[in-house]
Amino acid sequence: MSNQKKRNFQIEAFKHRVVVDPKYADKTWKILEHAIHEIYNHNASGLSFEELYRNAYNMVLHKFGEKLYSGLVSTMTSHLKEISKSIEAAQGDSFLEELNRKWNDHNKALQMIRDILMYMDRTYIPSTHKTPVHELGLNLWRDNIIHSSKIQTRLLNTLLELVHRERTGEVIDRGLMRNIIKMLMDLGSLVYQEDFEKPFLEVSAEFYKVESQEFIECCDCGEYLKKAEKRLNEEIERVTHYLDAKSEVKITNVVEKEMIANHMLSLVHMENSGLVNMLLDDKYEDLGRMYNLFRRVPNGLLTIREVMTSHLRETGKQLVTDPERLKDPVEFVQRLLDEKDKYDSIISLAFSNDKTFQNALNSSFEYFINLNARSPEFISLFVDDKLRKGLKGVSEEDVEVILDKVMMLFRYLQEKDVFEKYYKQHLAKRLLSGKTVSDDAERSLIVKLKTECGYQFTSKLEGMFTDMKTSQDTMQGFYASHPELGDGPTLVVQVLTTGSWPTQPNVTCNLPAEMSALCEKFRSYYLGTHTGRRLSWQTNMGTADVKATFGKGQKHELNVSTFQMCVLMLFNNADRLSYKEIEQATEIPASDLKRCLQSMACVKGKNVLRKEPMSKDIGEEDAFFVNDKFTSKFYKVKIGTVVAQKESEPEKQETRQREEDRKPQIEAAIVRIMKSRRVLDHNNIIAEVTKQLQSRFLANPRRLRNVLSLLLNEISWRGIPLTENCTVILLEGIA
Amino acid sequence: MKIAKDRVRFNVGGRIFETTSTTLANAGRNSFFGAFFDDNWALKQPINDLNPNSEFYIDRNPDCFGILLDLLRTGDLHIPPHVPERLLHREASFYGLLDHVRSAKWGPFDANRLRYSRSVTGRAPGDGTAIRAGPDGGCCVAHGSMVRVYDWMMEEHPPINLDYQRVNDIAWVDSENVILSACERLGRGDGGMGLFSKSTGELRYKFQVCHENRVKSYTAGALSTSSDYRIFSSCKGRSNEYGIGVWDQITGKQIDFFYESPGWSLGDADKLQWLNGRNCLLVATLFPRKDNCYISLVDFREKRMVFWSDIGASMTVDEKRVRDAIAMEDCNAICVVNEYEELGFMDLRMSGGSVRWSSRSRLMKGKMPDEPCYPKLALHEGQLFSSMDDSISVFCGPDWVLTSRLRQSYGGSICDFSIGGDRLFALHSEENVFDIWETPPPPIL
Repeated sequence: MSNQKKRNFQIEAFKHRVVVDPKYADKTWKILEHAIHEIYNHNASGLSFEELYRNAYNMVLHKFGEKLYSGLVSTMTSHLKEISKSIEAAQGDSFLEELNRKWNDHNKALQMIRDILMYMDRTYIPSTHKTPVHELGLNLWRDNIIHSSKIQTRLLNTLLELVHRERTGEVIDRGLMRNIIKMLMDLGSLVYQEDFEKPFLEVSAEFYKVESQEFIECCDCGEYLKKAEKRLNEEIERVTHYLDAKSEVKITNVVEKEMIANHMLSLVHMENSGLVNMLLDDKYEDLGRMYNLFRRVPNGLLTIREVMTSHLRETGKQLVTDPERLKDPVEFVQRLLDEKDKYDSIISLAFSNDKTFQNALNSSFEYFINLNARSPEFISLFVDDKLRKGLKGVSEEDVEVILDKVMMLFRYLQEKDVFEKYYKQHLAKRLLSGKTVSDDAERSLIVKLKTECGYQFTSKLEGMFTDMKTSQDTMQGFYASHPELGDGPTLVVQVLTTGSWPTQPNVTCNLPAEMSALCEKFRSYYLGTHTGRRLSWQTNMGTADVKATFGKGQKHELNVSTFQMCVLMLFNNADRLSYKEIEQATEIPASDLKRCLQSMACVKGKNVLRKEPMSKDIGEEDAFFVNDKFTSKFYKVKIGTVVAQKESEPEKQETRQREEDRKPQIEAAIVRIMKSRRVLDHNNIIAEVTKQLQSRFLANPRRLRNVLSLLLNEISWRGIPLTENCTVILLEGIA
Repeated sequence: MKIAKDRVRFNVGGRIFETTSTTLANAGRNSFFGAFFDDNWALKQPINDLNPNSEFYIDRNPDCFGILLDLLRTGDLHIPPHVPERLLHREASFYGLLDHVRSAKWGPFDANRLRYSRSVTGRAPGDGTAIRAGPDGGCCVAHGSMVRVYDWMMEEHPPINLDYQRVNDIAWVDSENVILSACERLGRGDGGMGLFSKSTGELRYKFQVCHENRVKSYTAGALSTSSDYRIFSSCKGRSNEYGIGVWDQITGKQIDFFYESPGWSLGDADKLQWLNGRNCLLVATLFPRKDNCYISLVDFREKRMVFWSDIGASMTVDEKRVRDAIAMEDCNAICVVNEYEELGFMDLRMSGGSVRWSSRSRLMKGKMPDEPCYPKLALHEGQLFSSMDDSISVFCGPDWVLTSRLRQSYGGSICDFSIGGDRLFALHSEENVFDIWETPPPPIL
């Protein structure tokens, strides 16, 4: 009993732990392993999906996930090693086909294996952060097939060889190629990049380096560009057929670099076929191709633009400085317009209306047009020519086109006020001589100038038109109030407002008695109808129609200037007049008189007077007679006035005059700006003024400073020097 | 009579089921049935037409198969009382139909149709810190130094902790990963911020704060994440590491640190909220951590505060003390709440502006419960939620009218609540119980 009592109770660990049959896992795995073998051997028809799925499920459920997973890895690896051998054994061209076939097999097997192991894929793998079955299958394929030492380089070389063969014109199996490339992409973008794309780009670069060198040695620029374009398109097409879309940028970059960027300068400057030749010959197609190709590379368009600009400046400079051209202003301007048209169409047809090219064109024109100080004058002369005669029979739209083109040139001018000066003179001449062909065209141009430069610019021009209109009315009124003037000479007066018209030196002369009487009548009529006005006669600008009868009774109507009329009238009462007598009678200044006589006595065909002695020049001792032998085919004869000798004042003086003319405008601009800004430093005020005056002329900074400092002395402004170069200007109370 | 060609006959655990392969196709390719009928396998099965009595055997529970078959037929889940839910989940997991069960159980979130679903009781009583809904319908509850993790089936996973330090905040990075912020333990390098696996509870990464190229230990406070994979946390170190730390979710590296300007208590912040449209972070430090309520928007690109407001300097005396704040980007406003659950609004575009309190008068004044819980705010799809005492109010814009009130009497005041995975979780303070609110599946007609 005591023994019994002494018995120790021992608490034993619970012995009946539920233990799954240790062989269970092995047995189950064997079934699954066998199934995987059968799947790889295309022998899956005897397999039951439900059984396999259940077995895999049970393994995971009973914590044999690890065994299942590692079993899968080793089974699949061993299969892939076998596959690798069979691919290696494939001969020649069948290599890729075998690879492709095995790849398809593997994908199918992988899908089936994943189906069986779906439960593991869904539960065991995420919680243990292992690679999912599908990705695992791809990784194993990558490591055992693609990266196996015997396949990796062979695959790469085969692919590159195929691309090379296609580049040299052979037809290859693009479908197979696409499948293989797709496989590389499926294995991850890194595999595609490392195992194909990178070497592909390197080989391509080498290929195009060699080829471009060949081309550049044997082709002209146009041909080369055609070939480069073709290659580029081929590569883009290749990408769409069997490469990753992301490769397009990379391979085109290679072609662009090797074929274009590296040869850019030699292409542009290629002898007899480079850019300059293309421009000269208007080769729109080639230029367009060059533009499109060069646009793809850094600095490509810049290169084209620079060459074009320097060529344009060079030819433009030659054009405007060619002394031959200066002889004919109309031809000069026409040349400029033609040049502009030429480049406009190049830019629109070949350079896809690129703004930067348009800017380059504009700046080039601005550059060389202003190289010739007479450009403003010439442009005005061109307009003058067109408006005098050139526009006859031209439709309204064409007139607009021509005027628009002229405006374009006008825009390039820096010294717009010089143009204005000439334009005013030329317009005055056209109006006074009644030579303008189209009032509409004249007005249209003025409207254009107005929109371009503002009201101020054209107010005087418009005043001239108003004067013309008022004069007509005045003359009608004059003759209506003097009905007795029906017979005798007819007087036509144009009353010009002072200031609106270009100033002319007022040269007076003695009019023939009957004319001066008529003038007096007009004066009293005019001053009677308008109060507070003053009339002065600009006899040097008038014209007259004189009827003359010569020795043998030939009658002509002579169209002459007022001076010439005065001289001719003297011969009504005398046969012979000496120079001195004429000078005394008419009081025409010597230089004008000499020109006047010269044009009537020395010009062949117009020599209504005879001179003794016969010579080209008029001497003070000469004597004049009516030329009885004067003949002309026409009844009306226009006798011009010999153009004055080249203006004697030197160019410099004109410049100085111009600077004087500009002074009030500069002053006005400064005051305008200071009124609104009050405080401004020195440099800014110069900048502002220059900007404001731009529409009229390019202000010379030194001149600006000069005017500014003069103004500072005159008005109550204060300049506070801050630093040496910077002065703040304060405007203190200016009305 | 013609037999439908796609008819299939199953013997599941001894019971015969007849259905069609079309019905089973609703399971999707990524399921048992999807693979079963795939060309790779289907050809190897006996073909019905030739042998109408042939059947496929599946060694599973027939009751559950019936429920799941009806789920595939109708899209509705009906679980008879005698079938344990866990068993059904187990079976659904076998067939790969768990997602179907999950989406049939409750509908898309609609704050005004919420129904109380169930309560889950915690282990230790009292004082939960925070509850956070996960993206898939699960949640985690911070409690002292532990965080308990539940999946959407309310199965509890191994709890997580960071060196057993007191947990300040938790945030879901995705349906598998949770970040936890905890207090530091002086001199030990413990605490800070860690990334945990939801399913296994293992620590996968510990985030570090570097100051002048030296790793510092720190206390991590409020957390926020942004859609461009950044993590924000208010940080408090012992030297200069006061402010907001920013980490990259993918690399885990610290990518930025906004050192706080004096007096702004960014490192103590109670609430961080990333504003996607404005590309800045709302930082709110509230009573009782500070006497005043500091709210600011921090722009990390320009390293400056683009909005700030310090409410309360003049208001500490009256009872309008801000207890929580939330930015509502769509309305350019910040909503705040005081301890009487009165809502106030501030214009997000105007710094230093004042709070416009809504005139809604509540009967609550002067009727404080014994153990008060401060109100919390949440925003979900344009609806504003505010918890007070043992209920949660739902307000709809633009005038923020009260449209629903959620109340479950058991467990005392609600100390925190969270919306996510089409569920609302409310954590009670007294009994350590949390309630789950779901939107029922849409009506049949």
